Amino acid sequence: MNPSSHLSLIIDLSPSQWHLSAQSNNSYPLSFQTFLSHVLTFVNSHLAFKHENTLAVFGALPGRSMMLYSSLDATSANSNDPPADANSYRPFKLVNSVVANNIQKELDAIERLTEEPPVALVGALTKALCCKYQPFGPSTTRKRGNEATTSVDPRILILSVSPDLSASYIPVMNSIFSAQKLKVTIDVCKVFGEETVFLQQAAHLTGGSYIYLGRRDAFLQYLTMSFLPPPSMRHIIAVPQQDKVDFRAACFCHKNIVDIGFVCSVCLSIFCSPVPVCSTCRTKFPMKTLQHLNASRPSIPPANGVSNGAPRPPSARPNPGMSASLR
Amino acid sequence: MSTVCTARASYKKSQGLLELTSTHLQWTQDRKELPAVHVAHTEVSSLFSSKEGAAQQWPQFHFHFPPPLALTERETFKAQLTTIISNNRAVRETGVLQPPQTSIQAATPSSNDTTHRAPLPTPSRPSTSRAESVSSNQGTPANDPINDFHLRKKVLVKTPELAVLHRELVRTGHITETEFWEGREHLLLAQAASDSQKKGRPGQLVDPRPQAVEGGEVKIVITPQLVHDIFDEYPVVAKAYDENVPGKLSEAEFWKRYFQSKLFHSHRASIRSTATQHVVKDDTIFDKYLEKPDDELEPRKPRDDDVDMFIDLEATREDHEETGNENDVTMQAGKQRGALPLIRKFNEHSERLLKSAISTDGTGKRRKVDTGDSHGYYSQIDLADLHNLESPAGILLEMQDRQRYFEARAGAAASVEQAPRPAVDFPAALLQMRRDLEGWQVHLAQLKTERKATEAALVSMTQNVATRLDVHKRKADIPEEIFRQMRTCQMAANEFLRQFWSVIYPPIGETVGGPSTLAQRTAKAARMAGYLTKTPEKVMAIVNAAETAGLDRGRVQTGMQPTLDAVNKALEFWETRKAAPGSGAPGARRP
Repeated sequence: MNPSSHLSLIIDLSPSQWHLSAQSNNSYPLSFQTFLSHVLTFVNSHLAFKHENTLAVFGALPGRSMMLYSSLDATSANSNDPPADANSYRPFKLVNSVVANNIQKELDAIERLTEEPPVALVGALTKALCCKYQPFGPSTTRKRGNEATTSVDPRILILSVSPDLSASYIPVMNSIFSAQKLKVTIDVCKVFGEETVFLQQAAHLTGGSYIYLGRRDAFLQYLTMSFLPPPSMRHIIAVPQQDKVDFRAACFCHKNIVDIGFVCSVCLSIFCSPVPVCSTCRTKFPMKTLQHLNASRPSIPPANGVSNGAPRPPSARPNPGMSASLR
Repeated sequence: MSTVCTARASYKKSQGLLELTSTHLQWTQDRKELPAVHVAHTEVSSLFSSKEGAAQQWPQFHFHFPPPLALTERETFKAQLTTIISNNRAVRETGVLQPPQTSIQAATPSSNDTTHRAPLPTPSRPSTSRAESVSSNQGTPANDPINDFHLRKKVLVKTPELAVLHRELVRTGHITETEFWEGREHLLLAQAASDSQKKGRPGQLVDPRPQAVEGGEVKIVITPQLVHDIFDEYPVVAKAYDENVPGKLSEAEFWKRYFQSKLFHSHRASIRSTATQHVVKDDTIFDKYLEKPDDELEPRKPRDDDVDMFIDLEATREDHEETGNENDVTMQAGKQRGALPLIRKFNEHSERLLKSAISTDGTGKRRKVDTGDSHGYYSQIDLADLHNLESPAGILLEMQDRQRYFEARAGAAASVEQAPRPAVDFPAALLQMRRDLEGWQVHLAQLKTERKATEAALVSMTQNVATRLDVHKRKADIPEEIFRQMRTCQMAANEFLRQFWSVIYPPIGETVGGPSTLAQRTAKAARMAGYLTKTPEKVMAIVNAAETAGLDRGRVQTGMQPTLDAVNKALEFWETRKAAPGSGAPGARRP
C-alpha cells in the first residue's frame, strides 16, 4: 500500500512583497487573493488524494512564524467552526476557514508595526521540521500489531515571495541537514521575487524540486503538476526540477553571500577574508600563511593552501551560469 | 655564492673543476662555461666514499692529479659534504637549518694532513653519518623519499593516468621532472610509508607444493624463509635436521629425502595425501619421526589453560565431584575421524599465529592489569540491562565566541545588506492584504484559470521533464579515440595551469628544489603561459577531428569549454601582469 503522506505548507506572508507582486507592471501579476484561492484548492486536493493524508500549514510573517492549521488537532468540534453548509464538503470547508481566519488574526496582530522586520521563514521551517515528530511521539507507537502499518512520507512545501536573508544562512543549512536526517523532502516554489540561493540548495540537497514560476496566472497548474505527487511516487510521476543550483554560501563573519571564500580546514566555516583565529573552533592559523594569502588576494582566487589548520579557499564553486543538463 | 673549496676532478671521464660553494656543489667541465652538475646543498643526502685507494666518490668524481693533493682534497670535500648531509638530516628531523658556514671556515683546504676534521663543531654526527653512508651500497638518496627514483616509478605504475600525463609532458620536455613532482609530494610520501610497512606472519599453513616440471620430475624451491617456516610449523623436522645434518646427510640430501618421505606427506595440508602410502617409499631415517595420526578423542596437544574466569567450567570442579557432569568427550572438531588430524593442525597453527601477533606488543600478557579492577572482571558483569532506563543526556553545544557570532548577526540585521528593495509603504501594503483576505470565500468559489496560461505552464514543465529523461537515456556516444584526446588535452592543460599558478603566488612553505628567486619564477610563469596559449588550437584540432568522425562538434566544444575558460582566465591574468610591470609584486590590488 502506498504510504500516507504528510504535507507541511509554509506560506510567506510578507505584505510588502505581496503588494509588489500584485502590481500590474509585473509580467503576470498575482494578487494575494488569487494566490490564496489557488493554495486552498491545492490543499483540498492534497487531502482528497488519500483519506489518511495529513496537513499542517505554517505562516511566515514579518518577525514571527506560527502554525496556522494542523490536521492532527482539528478533529474536535469547535465553536468557531463555520456552520454546516449543504453545498460544500465539510472537511474542505473546515480547512479553508481555519487557515483564512488564522491568517486574518495574525495580520491583525502586526497591525501596529510601522517598519517591516524580515520575514521569519527560517522559524517556520524549523517549526515544520519539529512538527514532523508529532506522529512519532513517545506516547504513540508507530506500528501496532493488528493495525495496518502506515508509514508516513513527509514533505515540506515552501511558497516564497521574499528574497534571501543572508543572516539566515546558518539556520537554513542546519535545517537542511536535519531534513536530510529525517528524510523530509523540501520543495520550493518561488512565486515572486528574485532567485533565492539558500532555498535552491535546500531543494537540491533534500531531493525536492525547486520551481520558479514562469506564468503566475497558472499557479494552480504548477502546484498540481509539480507538488501534488508525494515523494514516494516521484519515481513514477516525474516532477520538473531546476538543474541549475547556485551553491554560493554566506560568510560566517559578516553574513554576506560570497562566491569565493576562505574555509577553515578544521571546522569548515567560511570567511570572506583570512582571519588569524577561526571564530567557531578557535584554531590559530600561522601568520605567514595569512600574509601570503592576503597578499595574493586581489580579485583572483589563490590556489595554494596548507593543511594543519590553515585557511584554504574552497574548490571551485559553480557559478549560476553553469548548468548540469545538456541542451 | 662564495666558493669554499675547489678541486680538480673528473666526472664521467672528462676533466673539470669541482667547486663547493656555500649553497651548491657544482662541477664544470674544462673549457666550458656552465656547470654540468649543479647540486643544491639540500639535495645532498648521502655520501658514498670507497676506501682510500680506490678514489671513487658519488657522483663518481675522480680526484686527479697530483695524487697526494688529490687525497687531501677529497677528504676536505668529504668532510664538508658530510656536514651538509648531517645538517640536512637535522633539518628533516628538527626543522632547523644550521648554516654550515662555521665548520667550513674551520677547515682550510690547504692543510695537508687529515686531522682537520677534528675542529668540526659537530662531533658525533659526521662519524655516524659516514658509517651509514658507507654501509649503503648504492649511491641513490635512500633517505630522501621526494627525490627517490624508485618511489616515483612505483607511484607512476600505480596510477596509470598519472603515468600518461608524465609521459606526455615530461618526456617531451615541456615540464621537468622536479616540477612535475612539486605539488605531488604527498603521493610519494604515502608510497614510501606503505613500502616501509612490515608484513606479518602469513596465515596459511606451510605447505610447499611441488611444481611439476617436464620430464616427470617435481621441483620445490627451498628458500631460507621456507626452511624457517617449516621448522616453526613442524618441530619434528627441526629435530630431524638437528640430529642428521651434517652428520649423516648433507643439507641438499636431507631436503630431497624429506620431500619424498612419508613424513612430508603426513604434513601436507590436505586429507587426500595421507592416503598415498602406496606411492611413497619407505625411508629409514625419516620414518623414525612419524607419529600416529592425531585422531583420538582428545587432541594430542592439550589446549592452553588460559581460560577466562567467568566461563571456566573447571573452576568449581571440586564442588561437583560426585554429582556433576563428565567431561564432554564428544566435542570433537568435524564429523569424520579422518579429518580430525588436519583440523587440529589448523587449530594449532591459528593459535600460534595469534599468540605471535599478540605477544609482539612486548608483554606476553593479553590484558593490562589496571589498578583495582584487575582483569576487568567488574566491567564484564556490569550489564546494560541492570541499569535503570535513562534518557541519554544530550551534549551541550558549546559555541566558541558567542559574543562575536551574535554581534555579527545583529549588525547584519540592522543594516539592509540585500539589494535595495523598492520602497513599499508597509501599512498600506498590510491594509491591502487584509482587505484581500476578507472576501476569500467568494473568491474561492469563483476560482478559474485561463486555459492558455495553464497550457503554457504545462508545456514548459513537460519540456523540463522530457529533457532530463532524454539526457538519462542518451548514452555517451563520443568514440573512444576522440574522448581520449579530449582527456589528454584537458590533463595537460590542468598540469600547465597548476604549474603556472603555483609559481605566480607566493610560496606557502619551504619548497625544496623549486624556483626561488623572482626572476626564476617569472621565467617559469612565462614558459607556462607560452604552453597555455597553444591550448585553444589543440581544442580546435580535436573539435575538427570530431566533426570528420561524424560527431556533433557542439558537444565536444561544450565538453572542453571549462578547460578553455580556465586557460583564458590564466592568460588574461598574465597579460595584465605583463602590462603593468611595476605591479609585479603580489601585493598589488587590481581595479
